Amino acid sequence: MTNKEVPKRWLLISLGNHFRSDDGVGPYLLHKLKASIGDSAEFLENGGDMVGLLGQWKGRRVCLVDAVRIEGQKPGNLIRVNGLEDSFAPSLCNTSSHGFSLAEAIGLGETLQSLPRQLVVFAICAENFTCGNRLSAEVEKAALLAEQQITALVKADNGGQQCTNNP
Amino acid sequence: MSGKGKTIKVDYLARVEGEGALFIRYDDNHVHEVQLKIFEPPRFFEAFLRGRDYTEAPDITARICGICPVAYQMSALHAMEDALHLVPTSELKALRRLLYCGEWIESHMLHVSMLHAPDFLGYPSAVAMAKDHPEVVQQALEIKKAGNALLRLLGGREVHPINVRIGGFYRTPTKEQFESLREQLSAARDLAERMCRWAASLPFPENTQKFEFVALVNPDEYPMNEGRIQSSEGLDISVKDYEKHFREVQVPHSTALHSVLIERDSYLVGPMARFNLNYPRLSTGVKRVAEELGFNPPCSNPFKSIVVRCLEVLHAFDEALRIIDNYQPPEHPYLTVEPREANGCAATEAPRGLLYHRYGINAQGKITQAKIVAPTSQNQKTIEKDLRLMLPNFMHLPESQLQGLCERAIRNYDPCISCSTHFLQLHLQHDQQGSS
Repeated sequence: MTNKEVPKRWLLISLGNHFRSDDGVGPYLLHKLKASIGDSAEFLENGGDMVGLLGQWKGRRVCLVDAVRIEGQKPGNLIRVNGLEDSFAPSLCNTSSHGFSLAEAIGLGETLQSLPRQLVVFAICAENFTCGNRLSAEVEKAALLAEQQITALVKADNGGQQCTNNP
Repeated sequence: MSGKGKTIKVDYLARVEGEGALFIRYDDNHVHEVQLKIFEPPRFFEAFLRGRDYTEAPDITARICGICPVAYQMSALHAMEDALHLVPTSELKALRRLLYCGEWIESHMLHVSMLHAPDFLGYPSAVAMAKDHPEVVQQALEIKKAGNALLRLLGGREVHPINVRIGGFYRTPTKEQFESLREQLSAARDLAERMCRWAASLPFPENTQKFEFVALVNPDEYPMNEGRIQSSEGLDISVKDYEKHFREVQVPHSTALHSVLIERDSYLVGPMARFNLNYPRLSTGVKRVAEELGFNPPCSNPFKSIVVRCLEVLHAFDEALRIIDNYQPPEHPYLTVEPREANGCAATEAPRGLLYHRYGINAQGKITQAKIVAPTSQNQKTIEKDLRLMLPNFMHLPESQLQGLCERAIRNYDPCISCSTHFLQLHLQHDQQGSS
């Protein structure tokens, strides 16, 4: 096993499927952030390989975006969670590695000491998971809000606003 | 066990890919009925390929499975190239083999560590197993990571690669890019050898069965993309004759078709079949490890398939390193051809076994016909037969243990139900003697 130096930049990870309407909000947001903050962060679109996350996020500062459906929450609600402290509901499906969830990835990461140094999860409440590549209006609005918060998070940790000598 | 009739139900069998159920009706002396019930809805891939461009088949069929998309891409493009008489160069063939090595490593290690190993060590899940055996899971994840790296470099991404096209690849990596993977692949190869030794040391239930093993056989290499279809009972045919010898049949309890050998009946595809029919063509390093472990063909105990998968992973690393050593970037990343009205077919070795594709295309290159036979649908009948033959030897076990053993027996085959319909509730019905 190699002991590579852990990169200092934020790692922005999206979960979800482009072709499942609101489920594509993670990849959608990642593309927008790539265009706006570029090299300030590293971007990773995860197509569902949750086991693979363990090797990708170890020791990193990670921000993860995903579409969720939570009882009692309206579509378009944005929920920001500390992935290392707050608990997640276990997978609804434990019948296959297809059903290996973020909660299991965090649990396994804890056991194997493969957790990120920091894990901020942006969960966007979604409503439409049918085939299609358009976000619903409420989800698109929430994506804008998440984009602002993630940008602020990355910039703050990269030193904030550029310091100048100008008064 | 009492003579009274009873039913055991397990709503979802854990650690298989996809969703289905198992129904077993038996009494103290006989197993009367075994049904592997696949209830995932049909996915209609063959239907919606019709009318699409022939160039789209590899990318569309790759979406059948997130674990083995390369297999679908390989079978699709070889079938199209068969139709169009397009013969890839040896460099392109080597790159396709390298991509397949990445997928075998990823898929096999996922099954070995996350789905299969907990069975042998008595844990309900890999997460639970990792608490007591972290080194096993760590090693497996490192190995899988190396497979991912191969897919990322050559396939463009780790899941559903995007760099594969009819005639070759959209872009081929440089020698330097492959060289950058060498250290990771060599380190993971050492871990894979350790995994083989660990897997061989596991306690295996005794369950030797008589199978007809079916796999591609290629005199020049352990099969991935090319070869004749051979079986342990003497079948030896060209892929073109597949449908003359194999037939798909509908059964009421499954949304996946059952595939049978017309001359005989059920058969087994997958790692055990490949290993038993192709042992001499494994790498020297793999044969040395297998011999040291006393693990020689034929392997007829499905519980030992975990060892075969580990050996195949080791072989995939040896192959990958060999291909990288000899790599010369192809002059052109892909070959082109004009479409014409034609039919073509191909079979390649997916991690789970033989994967057959056949297509018809028209003069405009639009797909007019598609047929896909996935490994799990070919193994379904054999899984049912295995359970029918295995159970009488374990009737002395308490029902809860018997149920657990049935679930384990199914996991031996690493079924991918999503591919086959694309699994699992378990219903064990214990009849009163003589009631059937």
